[in-house]
Amino acid sequence: MDLTIRIAGEAGQGVQTTGNLLAGAFARVGLHVFATQSYMSRIRGGLNWFDVRVGDNEMFSGKEKADVLVALNSDVLDPLRHEVTGRGVVLLDGAGSDGVISIELSKTAKQLTGSAQMANTVAAGAIFNLLGCGLDELCDYLSVQFEKKGEQVVEGNILCARRGAELAALIPALDDAPKSSGAPGTVYNGSQAVGLAAATAGVKLVASYPMTPATGTFTVFAGLADEYGIVVEQAEDEIAAINMVCGATYAGVPAMTTTSGGGFALMCEGLSLAGMMELPVFVLLAQRPGPATGLPTRTGQEDLGFAVHAGHGEFPRALFAPGTPQQAYELTRRAIETAHKFQTPAILLIDQFLADVQKNAPPLDTSLRPVDRHILAEPPDDYVRYAVTPSGISPRALPGTGPFVVCDSDEHTEDGHITEDLNVRMRLQDKRLAKIEGLIAEAMPPEHYGPSGAGTLLVAWGSTYGPCREAVDILNAEGKSAAMVHFAQVWPLAVRAVRSLLREGEAKRVITVEGNATGQFASILRASGALDEHESILRYDGMPFTGEGIAARVAQ
Amino acid sequence: MIEQWPGSTPAWCPGCGNFSILKTLDKAIDGAGIDRRGLVLVSGIGQAAKLPHYTRANVFNGLHGRALPAATGIKIANHKLEVVVTSGDGDMYGEGGNHLIHAIRRNVGVKLFVHNNQVYGLTKGQASPTSDIGFVTKIQTHGVILQPFNPLALAIIEDCSFVARSFAGTPEHLLEIMAAALRHKDGLALVDILQPCQSFNKVNTHRWYRDRVKPIGDSHDPFDRDEALRLALQWGDEIPIGVIYRGRRKSFESQLPALAEKTLCEQAESV
Repeated sequence: MDLTIRIAGEAGQGVQTTGNLLAGAFARVGLHVFATQSYMSRIRGGLNWFDVRVGDNEMFSGKEKADVLVALNSDVLDPLRHEVTGRGVVLLDGAGSDGVISIELSKTAKQLTGSAQMANTVAAGAIFNLLGCGLDELCDYLSVQFEKKGEQVVEGNILCARRGAELAALIPALDDAPKSSGAPGTVYNGSQAVGLAAATAGVKLVASYPMTPATGTFTVFAGLADEYGIVVEQAEDEIAAINMVCGATYAGVPAMTTTSGGGFALMCEGLSLAGMMELPVFVLLAQRPGPATGLPTRTGQEDLGFAVHAGHGEFPRALFAPGTPQQAYELTRRAIETAHKFQTPAILLIDQFLADVQKNAPPLDTSLRPVDRHILAEPPDDYVRYAVTPSGISPRALPGTGPFVVCDSDEHTEDGHITEDLNVRMRLQDKRLAKIEGLIAEAMPPEHYGPSGAGTLLVAWGSTYGPCREAVDILNAEGKSAAMVHFAQVWPLAVRAVRSLLREGEAKRVITVEGNATGQFASILRASGALDEHESILRYDGMPFTGEGIAARVAQ
Repeated sequence: MIEQWPGSTPAWCPGCGNFSILKTLDKAIDGAGIDRRGLVLVSGIGQAAKLPHYTRANVFNGLHGRALPAATGIKIANHKLEVVVTSGDGDMYGEGGNHLIHAIRRNVGVKLFVHNNQVYGLTKGQASPTSDIGFVTKIQTHGVILQPFNPLALAIIEDCSFVARSFAGTPEHLLEIMAAALRHKDGLALVDILQPCQSFNKVNTHRWYRDRVKPIGDSHDPFDRDEALRLALQWGDEIPIGVIYRGRRKSFESQLPALAEKTLCEQAESV
């Protein structure tokens, strides 16, 4: 059993604060939570909403319609009231109208505390009561949450929560509300998971230029900086950011940058530099719809092909695309490890949906466990930076530790100096590209979910994991046999494993599911020989897939 | 290897001012007692940017215009390294102009030596950001009409912590200025080095510069910003050379809490 609560209002009205509060508080009482956000690119005004889906079981996707719509102003009713389920209720802050239950959130907060600021806590109290959740537990959560702000703030919040519950007591409680089921009490969004993983992996410099939807992770780093000893530098532009990261990795420090498509475009020359200089550069690429400025605050998976080919010339790289916040944590670490092992760039592809999605997970490991930087402890006197080896990986030394470390963006000799000897060029380019074989050997095989030999096989990558997984569950529940193959590493592919998985059981229908208009991942699979005839389900309106949405399109 | 590396043969034209700059830089580095194992020469692209290949040092020869961000990353990662950028007027004042502005604001402890010959050499003779108005090239066929970029005035206005100018044709003066820059401990040191281009600048020749450069007298107080700006704006019949300005700033790296105890690189080792 699950319910979706949609908080809607204009930017600046506290939509996000209310949503975050509910997501955290529901998790605290042991409910499963899956929260998503939809917001516009503006500071004030517009139409934003925050969906908090709560349930007895783990959830992986948002829903199309809400069971409870909390309208923070009457303007949101027109666009959103028809997106409410049949059993649903609509609550409006202020005077009501037909079919809408009036609940004075702002006025109540103002009466109780002298300011409307805590209207979100009144809303949380009301929702808690509506779902039959214990108010004492909400109050405990508020006490912990606002402890740092002082006793007065805690008391004000508790007062508001209790009054909110009283106001909602007049509304009939919802049937079939989910019951606490021992879900993990901690909630993470994708941005937090990436930040924590990189901090614990020993990243010491984050140089970025703010760009939605990557700014969330950049901000997470600022919060972690003092605890983990990280320098967080806001660069003058993305070009500076990636070149700072190149410089820092040359000097031996794990470093990264966070960006979105337009910023990543500016970084391409620097990415190519990392390929040429063989630097373990890590980039978080949080996608949003393009081209150009596109839809800044919406979601999409449009930069896969771009990231696979980004940067002039040919050089090895690894691309990871997690499906959940927890997987984002695991793959961030894996990407940083891979970059260091192979001395080449690694990219983590997320998107607005995954950056903002909030989901319960067992507490993520916060202990510092730096990745192996693969550095020679005592480089010999005759050390050269780019020694040719069968694996293509040259022993790595750092400047300041003994022999000179010479790196050049020009084609260079084994000792790193500029050359135009074309035989040397061939040897060194072959050496660099030899790392691709190693990357393929270590590539993660895709994950299979659902019954084996299913008639319909959904092929997903990155953040479509959750919605596809729910679609599989919905389809099987309806008696239509379906399964999913999900790729968390999208480049290079473990081609043999991919082929056998896609061919296993020879599903009648193979359907690729992607958040873009041209089927970019399907193109990669076809080019690798792993995919022949297939259908595709594509979405590129800037909104995330849902499980029910995919299931409906499969059934069509 | 470290002792024997002779440097490869420079790809510079005979008579190029870069030879004098390289020789003087080597003297300044050795004169300052810098351990070359802890020295990183960072450069972008251009003839000046090839300099790191011709001496003994750690080298990061990166992208065109991007030497400063790379040098910033290196200095943040290991602030015990001596980080010197060698660049040209196209690399630093054109392609890398935005980074120059923000490196001055950041005041990162990097020594920045810009070989300024007022022309693009490696791409064979186009105008540079510092070319004088009227300078005719194969591209600017009617002469340059853009206002020349004034790096020193920009640096002074942005309160750069060390601003100087010298001339490749007066190696003793250049050595003195480079030595002062290497001694500077509180952030970015910008040295604009006037330099003739034998091949592509037939106007601003060795003689042209020699007849115009004039060392600033001892009476100049480099902390006097108004006077410094007046000197920086002088160009033409007389071009002042010397330490023009010193801003009272703290270096970027000295203000980062994460670097208070150890370098980031040491911290990356320590677990």
